[in-house]
This record gives sequence, C-alpha cells and structure tokens, in this order.
Amino acid sequence: MSAINNNCEYISKKQIKITFDGKTYQAYEGDTIASALLRNNIRLVGRSFKYHRPRGIYTCGIEEPNALVQIISEHNEPNTRATIKRVYDGMEITSQNRWPSLRYDFGAINNILSPIFSAGFYYKTFMGPKGFWKNIYEPLIRRSAGLGKPPKNFRSKSTHQYHNTDVVIIGGGLSGLVAAKKFINTKYKVLLIEQDSYLGGILKNSNKVKTINGLIPQEWISETEEQIFNSKNITILKNTLVTTYNFTNHLIALEDKCAGKKIDLNKPELTLHKIRTSNTIIANGHIERFISFRNNDLPGVMLASSFEKYIHRYGVVPEKEPVIFTNNSSSLSLLKTLISLGCKPKAYVDSRKKDNIETEIKKILKEKDILFFSDAEIEGCDGNKKVETITIRQGKTFSKIKSPMLCVSGGYNPDIHLFTQSKGLVKWDKNILSFKPDTPFQKTITLGSTSGNYNFKKLCDEINEKLSILKTKKVLLDINLNVPNKFSIKELWETKKKRISRWSKSFIDLHNDVTTKDLRQAITEGFDRIEHLKRYTTNSMGTDQGKISSINSLAIVSKMLKKEISEVGTTTYRPPYAPLSFAAIAGRSTYEFYDPERKTSIHSWHLKNNAIFEDVGQWKRPWYFKTYENETMHQAVQRESKMLRENAGILDGSTLGKIEIKGRDALEFVNLMYTNAFSKMKPMTSRYAMMLGEDGMIKDDGIICKISDQHFIATTTSSGAPKVLADMEEYLQTEWPHLQVYLNSITEQFSTFNISGPKTREIMMKVFPDIDFSNDAFPFMTFKNFDYKETKIRIMRASFTGELGYEIYITPKFGLDLWEEIFSCGKEFNLIPYGTETMHLLRAEKGYIVIGQETDGTVTPIDLNYNWMIGKNKKDFIGKRSLSRPDTSREDRKQLVGLSPINKKDIIEEGQHIVELNELPKKITNPIKYLGHVSSGYHSPNLNHSIGLAMIRGGKNLLGQKFFVTATGKTKNIPVEIVNPVFIDPENKRLTS
Amino acid sequence: MILIKCPYCGERDQSEFTSGGEAHVVRPKNPDSLSDKDWGEYVFYRNNPKGIFYERWVHSHGCKKWFNAVRNTSTDQILKVYKVNEKRPDFSDFENTLKSPSGEPSVGSGNFAVKK
Ligand SMILES: [Zn+2]
Repeated sequence: MSAINNNCEYISKKQIKITFDGKTYQAYEGDTIASALLRNNIRLVGRSFKYHRPRGIYTCGIEEPNALVQIISEHNEPNTRATIKRVYDGMEITSQNRWPSLRYDFGAINNILSPIFSAGFYYKTFMGPKGFWKNIYEPLIRRSAGLGKPPKNFRSKSTHQYHNTDVVIIGGGLSGLVAAKKFINTKYKVLLIEQDSYLGGILKNSNKVKTINGLIPQEWISETEEQIFNSKNITILKNTLVTTYNFTNHLIALEDKCAGKKIDLNKPELTLHKIRTSNTIIANGHIERFISFRNNDLPGVMLASSFEKYIHRYGVVPEKEPVIFTNNSSSLSLLKTLISLGCKPKAYVDSRKKDNIETEIKKILKEKDILFFSDAEIEGCDGNKKVETITIRQGKTFSKIKSPMLCVSGGYNPDIHLFTQSKGLVKWDKNILSFKPDTPFQKTITLGSTSGNYNFKKLCDEINEKLSILKTKKVLLDINLNVPNKFSIKELWETKKKRISRWSKSFIDLHNDVTTKDLRQAITEGFDRIEHLKRYTTNSMGTDQGKISSINSLAIVSKMLKKEISEVGTTTYRPPYAPLSFAAIAGRSTYEFYDPERKTSIHSWHLKNNAIFEDVGQWKRPWYFKTYENETMHQAVQRESKMLRENAGILDGSTLGKIEIKGRDALEFVNLMYTNAFSKMKPMTSRYAMMLGEDGMIKDDGIICKISDQHFIATTTSSGAPKVLADMEEYLQTEWPHLQVYLNSITEQFSTFNISGPKTREIMMKVFPDIDFSNDAFPFMTFKNFDYKETKIRIMRASFTGELGYEIYITPKFGLDLWEEIFSCGKEFNLIPYGTETMHLLRAEKGYIVIGQETDGTVTPIDLNYNWMIGKNKKDFIGKRSLSRPDTSREDRKQLVGLSPINKKDIIEEGQHIVELNELPKKITNPIKYLGHVSSGYHSPNLNHSIGLAMIRGGKNLLGQKFFVTATGKTKNIPVEIVNPVFIDPENKRLTS
Repeated sequence: MILIKCPYCGERDQSEFTSGGEAHVVRPKNPDSLSDKDWGEYVFYRNNPKGIFYERWVHSHGCKKWFNAVRNTSTDQILKVYKVNEKRPDFSDFENTLKSPSGEPSVGSGNFAVKK
C-alpha cells in the first residue's frame, strides 16, 4: 500500500479529479500523472511495445521508459510521460498499446510467441514473399507495435523565442543554483533553465543533504532563488527542457507554458527557445541506471532514487514495505527516508561484500531488524501483472520474499547527453563506473554530478575553480550530509538467472522490449560494432533513448566481446534530448502563415468572375474561369481555347518575373548570360531568349527587351524569377566584377496583360484610339512607351499563343482600371479572360515549350531544334562551351517532336512512354525498349483531336514514322505519328498578321 | 545551426546564408580553347575534403553579397571569412587548428566521442 509523506512542501493540498481509463481518481494540484496514480495504488499503466507485457511506473522523471500515456483532454496527445506531465482538474488520461483493455490485452500473445520476435526480427521475418509487406506485415505491425494514436483536430499555438546571452546554466539543482549565485549582480547576462516547476534538484528529491550553510535545503533553495530572482541580469526559465546543443553554443529549449493547467486555446501551449550564448554551463545532474534480472520489467520494480523522489517531491510513499536492491552506497538515503516515516523495508540486498558496506547502513539494518543480504543479488521476481515474490541469491542459497515493490539502484550515470551533443569527448571513470565529460569542444563547463563529481564536499571547490575563468566571486558552501561522502559502487549489470521459462525475460531496454539475450544473439550473428548492434536490436532507440540502460548495454557487450568499455565506445548521442513536439518546431508557421500568398492587382476581378486558381510558386494565378455552375475544367479550357483563336482572350501575366538590367556594360552582360546575340538588335525591339547553365542545359527562358545598349528588361518564368536574379548577381559579383551593371527586380512594379487573338488589334484600337497599331507602325517583337491617362504604359507586340498579340505593362495602381476598360471595349468582340491551362494548351498547339515541362535540366536548345537562338558568333556565353561536348552534341539525344494520333479519337496522356510495341506483354520479363516520353498532352479544340509534344531519342530524324504511346490502365498502346511540333500556323502568318 | 560572420554585416545565423560550394574555381577566360576534359573538370569536378575547405557563401537573406570562407568540414568551425577580391589565405594559417574534436581519421565517418 502507498502512504503519504505530510512533510512534503512542494505539492499543494488542493484536491482535484482526474480520470484514467474512464475511472475517476483524486489527485493533488502539482502531482504528475505518475504520482497521482501511485497515490491511488495504481501500478499497471501500460503495455510494452513488442511483447505487450504489463508495465508500470519505473522512474520519476524524463528518463521514463514505460509509463507513456495518452491525454484525451489535450487533443489525444500520445506518448506523454506520466512521470513529468502535471495533472489539472478534469484531465482525461488513457493507457496505450492495449486492446481491448489494459488488464486483458490481446497482443500479449506476442510474449508467448517471443522466440520469433528476437533481435533483428523485423529485418529477418519481413523479407518476403513479394507483396506481403504492403498488404499483410505493415498493417499488422502498425496495429500491434507502436505506441499511442495520433492527435486529432489540433491547431497548435506554439511560439518561438530568441535569446542572445553570455551564460546559460542548464539545470537549477544544487550545482546550477550555486553557479547562478556566482553571477548575481555581475555584468553577465544569464539564463538559468530548469526542467521542473521547482528549483532545487536533488535537494528536493532526496534527503541526501541535511543542511546547507546552516539552513535546511528548502529554506536554502527559497533564499537562493530570491537572490537570483532579484538580480536583474539573471532570468529563470522553469518547466523548460534543453533538448539540443548545437555548434557555436546554440541551444534549443522547450518550455511547457501550460504545465499543470488546462490548455488555453487562445495562448501558446509551448514556447521553443532558441538561444545563442557565449558560455554554457551544464549542471543537469545524473540519471540512475537499473540492473537486468529476470522479469525486471514487472510493475512494482522502480529505481531507488525515483522511489525516494516520489516521497520528497510529491509526498507519496509508493509502498511502505519495499525490498531495496543496490550495488552502491547512495541507497542509504532511501533507507533513512523510509525509517524516518515509520516504514520498514522488507529486505535490503546489497551486491557489495559486507566489509565494503558502510557501517551506518549495517547499523540501521541491525537496529531496525531488517533482513539484510550482503554480497547478494536479486535473481528475479514473479507475479501476475505485478511483483509478488522476489528471489534473492546469496552465494548458493536462494531466499524468496513476498513484497509488491522492488527498488533498484545500479549506480548513477552523469547526464552526458548534452555534452556529447556539443561534440565534447567523454571518458570512462572506474570509480563511478560510468562515462563522464572529459574534453569540451565548445565553451562548455560541466558541474557537479554531470561532471562525474559525486562528492558534495568537493562541489564548492569544483564550481569556484571551473568558473574562475569567468572571473566571478568565490562562494562558500557548508554542506551537512545524510549519506556517506565517498561514493562506493560494485560493478553489476546483470544478475544470473536461475531458471528459464518462456515468459521470463531479463530486459536491457524496457521501452523497445530488448532483452540481454537479444544482445548476445546479435553479437553471435556478427553485429559486434556498437552502432550496428544498436540498430539491429533496436536497443536504446526508443523515445527515452535508453537513458536508464544504455551504459548497462555497453558494459554487457564489452564483457561479451572481452574488451574494455572505452574500446567499445558509446553510440552517438543525437538531439533532441527528449522528444520535441512538431507543433513546437513549426511554431506559428502553419496554415495561412506557412507560406505567403502573392496576388496580382487583378485578383479581386478574378474572384468575382469565378476563376479557379493555380499555385505558381507563391503566386495565385487563374487556372481557368467557370462560366456556369457545372462547367468542368476540360469544358472551360476547350471553350477558352476555341474562343481565343476565333476572337480574342486576355491573360493576367503580372506574375511573370521582370528584371531590369542597367549600366555601362549591360549589353555585354546580357550577351554573356543569354544564348542569343543582342549586339545588332535595334533599340525598342525584343527577342525570345534562353539562359543555360554552364553544363549547356536550359535553365530559364523569357523575352529580352532592349531599350538601349545600357538598358534591358528581361522577363523570366513566374517561378524562376528569384533564381534567375540570384544567378545574375552571382556572376556579376564573382566572375565579372569589372562589368558595371545594376540589377533590379521589377516584377511587382508592373501589372502585365497578354491579349491575343485575331480581333486583338480592333480591341486595342478602341482602348487606345491615339496609338497606331498597324503592322508597319508596330511590327512583331517591338515595344513602345505611351502616356495613358495620368500614368505611362508600355506595349509590346508579342505572343505566347501563336495569334496576333500584345503585352501591356502598367503600374499596378491603375492595373484593374485598365483591365476593366479593356473588357468594356472588348465586349463587342467577344473578348474572354483565360487562365494558365488554356495558355498551356494554346502554346502546345503552336509548339512552344514550357520550362520544367519540356525541359527537365537535361535539355539543350539544340535538343529543342532552337539552334536559331544560339549566337554562334559570340565568343562566349554561359553554357556555350558545353554545347560542343561529345555527350551534349550526340545525335541520339532526346529531342523535341510532335505526336499526332493515327486514330483521331485516341487520347495522348502526359508522362506516358513512347515504345515500339503495339501491345504490352501480359507478363513483362525483359525490359521494354523505351524511346522517350510525352512531355505535354492536350485535346486540341482547334484541330479536334489529341496532340502531344514529346522528347524522343534521335527525334529529329524520325519525322513521319509510327510509334506507340502507352496508356493508363491498358496493355494496348496508342499508335501515333511523329510530326512537326508546330500544329497551328507553322508559317507564322497569324503571329505577324 | 552555426554562426557565420558576413564581412559586410557581421555575425548572423546560418539560415540567412546560402552555400555556394568550393571557392577559387575561376571561370576560364577562353572556354573554346579548353579541351573537353579540361572544360568538363571546370563544370563538374569539385573538391570535397574532410578538414580545411575554401568555400563560397552568399548572404542571401541579408546584403546579398558573395564572400569566401575557410571552414573545417569535420567540425563546422569557420576559421576565416574574406571578401571575394581579397587574397586567398594560406593553407598553413590553419594547419595548427583543431581538425576534429576527437582526432578522427582524415577519411570516413563514425563515432569517436570516447577519449582513449
Ligand atoms: Zn551581409
């Protein structure tokens, strides 16, 4: 039975109600889920990961491997550590990984089948047959393994906060507080970070320390905290866990803003602190480790210092008469605590020889008449879903003791996780039998038990000495102890098993259900490198990262390999220290804040006219316009395309990238960046141009407008604009700093409209009655500037549809006015708005390519038959030399062709393969010869059949030949003819009409 | 995330910068005069050492200036930053700097966190 420690000052006496698996329980404000459950005598809290074995509360903190629960009242938050999550009134909790109920779990059959679940089980078992993984294994594993269920309908309000400080102290325990004291009222900006809601660490978790400077620990903590709090240069963060220690002293810490409170939907529940500091002091203490013995996972087995922490920190005595099993001197403090509360351990089992056991321990045990076993160990324990009988081995004799709880201490590990994350080197210490920090890689100082110093009396000297480089004042510390000053320990990692039944297991990793037998098996199979062994057995790969057991596994493995533990080494400690919620990482960058939306000045008009939008980069562009309720995309695009070629259409092209290129050497620069020759080009004319990479492959295209030799405007693809500008900048700064050229992004300075179709000239003449749009006055690929109302406009004769067309540039301020003016003038000519899908269809009919559709980073202008765009007489331009590389000038490269179906009803789909077979074999045994792929496929309303653009090997020489195109879900292929990719107006009569 | 000192703006978070690969790879003056092999090496071949590396960075979310840096690739320490028009610092300036926290071998990876 549990009991209450009324002397506990860290927990309020305010009673609240929580529910666990549907039943209501009483708890105190300040309890964790675990302390509340123990208060109510609940020991079984979950089922294990692989074997579904009953599990209880093993620890009292962040290191917990077992007691993971799901919080129903917090959007189903799964895998919550019951040992750190604080309760509040009305909190709803359920256990995890059990079906149909915690007591009767179906998956426990895995435990009986355990011989097949041994090391490497996943790798070995699920190798075949083909198709089994997807249909059988994966769904099965997903249901029976894994922990908890994902949260539902949760919109996080987490925020990020940034800090720049001089000193960060991680851990507000004894060492952290003494260190912080040294910085009181100094010039240093200090951040003191504590994971718990109280400062004090070991002082409040145990009775190891009797007095400090004459004060009882609680008084000393309060006094010190007040001094630190009043010092303006020090900030204290509580409920905050440092999870990550990066290069250049960059720390990430997670603050729980609603610890012990119900989530307020209007406030951030988590804050992620991103801290840049000059010095880091790690004082986050140590973690107790367990010992492997038979059934060391039964509910009722608990770490000794955790047991003690429940008494001092939460006022719960989990059990009045436990058995204590230890291999070191520190368990004296638990013994004393229990005696002081009038409780009496059933037995005290110490693996050390009697002579090596402290006299004080022996004296108490004798006085209180407690069963004492020295030079002894726990062989194992048994019971139904809880510890009932404990078997003790002393020499050759076995004793059985009935007790529901067993407290285990296998020694302490300095918490080196953050230190190794910072790339510091650790070293094996024979006195404490653990790794401790050795050489720091950054400006990192470790203090107290983190640094392997378990001697309270030496703590003050250590802190004064290590912090002397920061020139702080000396502090004095007079500590009186309840435990021996000198830490003594005997090596013990695993006890000998007496009998072996299938159910009996000796665990090394409770979280992932790895047994010591699995370690042996893995080594026998050749996985003798620690990093391999870890992955093969999944040892210490759970969410607890083996905090209480990883050193044990290294020790056991080193014994099996007959090597020194430092030779075996540790596995890599990687951030985060403890699981970090994705909500905290994302912060406010979710939903509408995830990525900005860019809208053109015409956006409101598009909305009013039922535009369906497409995302192009961050831009919202009309994809097509719906003219009636049930109009499908196909119908709309066919209508828009036909109407444009009959009358006229207008496209909002404002998203097109525009870069202004100015300066003395602008002409030379443009000649170097683009393939075309610009020198002989007349001012106020424009040219379709291509930009290559140095490898000769097409990167971007656009129209270059030449105002003068010192002034150009380049347009780019909508999504390529930032990259093109960055590339131009790079060449200017790094390769040609002697060129006097200035670049400026002017994309957003203009609204751009592309108007085209046979009736365009009439519409333009009506909108701009003063301008002469005749072919002679305004030929194809020229542009002019005009005054228009109170602003200026630029009109260029250009087209991406193959019809007569103009591009109008106007300041966005007047963009919408002009757009509406054009529509009122265009009404009598049946002018329609069209979207990007129609634009793509029309350009495909005309054989114009789209970057990223026909090209994919492996296509040269020659592959597209665009040789005319290459300024062959230019000495140099980016990519020129690569065009004559043997691979780039191969005859059988994939080249652009058009596809026309032989049977006009067949549909050519984008992305399909071009092959020589008219039908695919039922069973494919040999690779089918692949000739190329369909890069664009549309139904052309103007030709009334399907058309395609394709990239085919040696395509230039295949005109007129017949091949086949594969089709979705069919084995019969579509016969097609290779044709000229220009389907409409190959003579460019319409373009220049 | 490391700190990078832009020679124009000062120390900023790495997230403000974009890496530009190996530095001091100069674009040939007369590409046409190069053999296919030499041109191919200019376009496709870059060094990727474990240890001291001369590389380019651009302060892409800042002043947008390109600059050079000397970084120890096994520790991510930036040993020097300098402007594009400044002289390439001598390799010997950095030879005595800590090459890796644990004296790892010059090739390959692995965990060497334990002091022998
Ligand atoms: Zn800068």
